[in-house]
Amino acid sequence: MSKILEVSSATFAYEEKNIFGDISLQMEQGQVCCLLGPNGCGKTTLLDCVMGINKLRSGNVRVLDKDINDYKRHQLAQRVAYVPQIHNRTFPYTVLQIVMMGRTAYTGFWGEPKHSDEEIARQSLREVGMEKYADTPYTKLSGGEVQLVMLARALGQQTDIIVMDEPTAHLDYRNELIFLETIARLCRNSSVSVLMATHEPAHAFYFESKGLPVKVALMCRGAMVAVGVPGGVLTEENLADVYGVQAKITGFINDNGQEIKDITLLRTLS
Amino acid sequence: MEKREKSFIPLGILLIVMPLLCIFVTFFFGRYPLPPADVFQAIGAKFGWCAMPSNETMSVLWNLRFPRAFAGAFVGASLAASGAAFQGVFRNPLVNSGILGVSNGAGFGASLAILLFGISFNTYIFSFILGAVAVILSYFAGRIYKSTPTVTLILGGVVVSSFFASLTSIIKFMADPYTQLPAITFWLMGSLASISYKHFVAIIPMVVGMAIIFMARWKINVLSMGEKEAQTLGVNISLYKIIIIGGATLCTAAAVCISGVIGWVGLVIPHIGRMLVGNDNSRLIPVSMSMGACFVVLIDMLSRNISGSEIPIGILTSLIGTPFFVYLLKKTKGGGW
Repeated sequence: MSKILEVSSATFAYEEKNIFGDISLQMEQGQVCCLLGPNGCGKTTLLDCVMGINKLRSGNVRVLDKDINDYKRHQLAQRVAYVPQIHNRTFPYTVLQIVMMGRTAYTGFWGEPKHSDEEIARQSLREVGMEKYADTPYTKLSGGEVQLVMLARALGQQTDIIVMDEPTAHLDYRNELIFLETIARLCRNSSVSVLMATHEPAHAFYFESKGLPVKVALMCRGAMVAVGVPGGVLTEENLADVYGVQAKITGFINDNGQEIKDITLLRTLS
Repeated sequence: MEKREKSFIPLGILLIVMPLLCIFVTFFFGRYPLPPADVFQAIGAKFGWCAMPSNETMSVLWNLRFPRAFAGAFVGASLAASGAAFQGVFRNPLVNSGILGVSNGAGFGASLAILLFGISFNTYIFSFILGAVAVILSYFAGRIYKSTPTVTLILGGVVVSSFFASLTSIIKFMADPYTQLPAITFWLMGSLASISYKHFVAIIPMVVGMAIIFMARWKINVLSMGEKEAQTLGVNISLYKIIIIGGATLCTAAAVCISGVIGWVGLVIPHIGRMLVGNDNSRLIPVSMSMGACFVVLIDMLSRNISGSEIPIGILTSLIGTPFFVYLLKKTKGGGW
């Protein structure tokens, strides 16, 4: 399996304020990588560096064996797509128009999407189960539906990696699960890799239970604390160190004889 | 959207025909009475198809009504297109073509030229240049950390606009109250009354600016997703912002320099367009151009006909446009807002 994303000793700082230092992370094709860590630990900034929005102070990010500084903006957008935590809706574009914007990277300097792009956009909408809303103004959708539209837009971009920044942070239980199920289905059926920042360690266990190759990267105060399989990284000791909470990793055996893990929070540690 | 390719050509033709039709209608109305038969004869004579009507008829039609309506169409199209472009790029439905100070800069330029030279061709040159200068100043005023975020750019535009508004007030204060002050005031209210063929040179920057906006129209959609998302969708935001703002400035400055400050068009015509064809700038931009052109041509016709003396068009645009806008708002239920 080839390295689809390779972050090597990456350091980033705003002016004088260091955000993170010496971060390394590798992702292989088809992998789901859950990036975990407390608020303000530098997760979002790291994602921004992976998407070429922030430039690293030192170190480098390679996408498909090529430094991201060697990509033009539209070339990078053909490799890496993005699903935001929350999308601010301004104009009432239709759902299809939003997804069509995912095709921008293929339009050329002055161009606009063509008919074939519309087909791809509709296909992406079908994949997230939102095709019936194609002509609905997306300002009329619920928060959960908008996240699925954002996911469809990223799919339509036909990239190797989709970067997600806490995509389920604002969703209720059901919508969160619909979103996770959709990601799991897409990862199984295609070769896309997902790099997802999340506050929910259970997301890693969820993807693992769905049989996907999962990697967990745990950050704390601008440094990478541990990288590895969910069971190895999300230990009670690590959670205590990183989040300052006492937690219990529990598990049960489901009907298929498979162990499902979960985390129960007990109390904060002083 | 489904019939995107099929329906685009007829819509395109309609968008060009409508302003031409409006221009044609203006031939028949004015203070100098021209019977319809004379109008047709004058049109025919222009192309050498029939005998010349009287000199007055030819002159009224081809030296007064035609240049005024023709240039007015470009003015309206420019204001509406740049308004739509700015609304998209700044992701703000409340901004208009003057948001970065082009109107107030041009107003100051014109006032200064009137103060220095009286009413002369310098008025147009000064207002065009200072309109563009105001936008450049706004751009650099809003520039921080080697980039120009949308919010600071709008703030830059607002402060630079008020700076030039103050400068204009100083000029008004200094101006001769019997000759220069009325000229300045009249210019600031906007009028197409003085337009003749020599002003057609302003159509060149208007066409260039509109062509730029037209070609970048899909990227306006993407920029309206917000800066971070636009970048991840593959758009070089600083480059496209400069291109689109540059195009909008070019056509607005050229429009304002020959017409004065005509408000309302750059704010509301794009919204009427949104109600009619939706928010996709691929359609909204050409539709705004066409409707802006029709609107200014027709309002200008009214401004020279509804009273004995000419009413500045800047007054009529909102006076007549507002009821129409409210009607459309009710009828389309806002179109998805």
